[in-house]
Amino acid sequence: MQNAVERGGSRGGTWPLQAISGIVLLFLLGLHVIAQHFVAAEGMRNFQDVLSYIRNPLILVLEVVFLVVVTYHAMLGVRGVVADLGLTRQQENTVNVVLTLVGVVLVAWGVYLAWFLVARA
Amino acid sequence: MTTQTSRWQRALRGWFDPRGRDAGLIAFALNRISGLALVLYLVLHLCVLSTLTHGEPAWEGFLRLAHTPLFFLLDMALFAAILYHGLNGVRVSLIGLGYGGRQQKSLFYGLAAAAVVIWGIAVWLMATV
Repeated sequence: MQNAVERGGSRGGTWPLQAISGIVLLFLLGLHVIAQHFVAAEGMRNFQDVLSYIRNPLILVLEVVFLVVVTYHAMLGVRGVVADLGLTRQQENTVNVVLTLVGVVLVAWGVYLAWFLVARA
Repeated sequence: MTTQTSRWQRALRGWFDPRGRDAGLIAFALNRISGLALVLYLVLHLCVLSTLTHGEPAWEGFLRLAHTPLFFLLDMALFAAILYHGLNGVRVSLIGLGYGGRQQKSLFYGLAAAAVVIWGIAVWLMATV
């Protein structure tokens, strides 16, 4: 049986979702990197600048959407990698549940951070 | 269990052993390795941002660390992984949609060249700004 590298593709069957979220990410990541690291003086914002930055509702929405899409893309990617290791249906279901939970925790963590900063801004 | 273990070993060896593999398969393996590195970075990024909840002194401490040469090198590696993963993702999407299947090798080398140029410009900007 060929493995994923030998086949040149994933068995996960979710590549359209991976591709769409990836294209959206290219746009959101571009905005994120430019806003966070190229516009900010010395490439990083100080504490007060972070608070003023996140206070902007448009930025807040963009950052949260970015977090959701990047987490979705990441968990889908990990699912594809794990699926190609040749798991049973039951193992795949367990992996799906675990990755969904990990994704929810990561998004909740980021949203909590954003909420914490907005509350202090 | 032995069969499953050997399947896993074979799958993982496929990612790290470039011998006898063509550009498309190397691109696929690199895409997965860079992708997993970026997943790890996502978690590290949230850990770093969490220092903001400890107040200004904690964040200023991180900023001092972020301006060290080692951190700069890690930033460059991160940017290389993002560029590679993103541009290769565009290539894979195009091929998946039925465009450029026959030119996938040239597409790979073309996008790799574009990645090197963009990476060079970004390094120059980050080093001088």
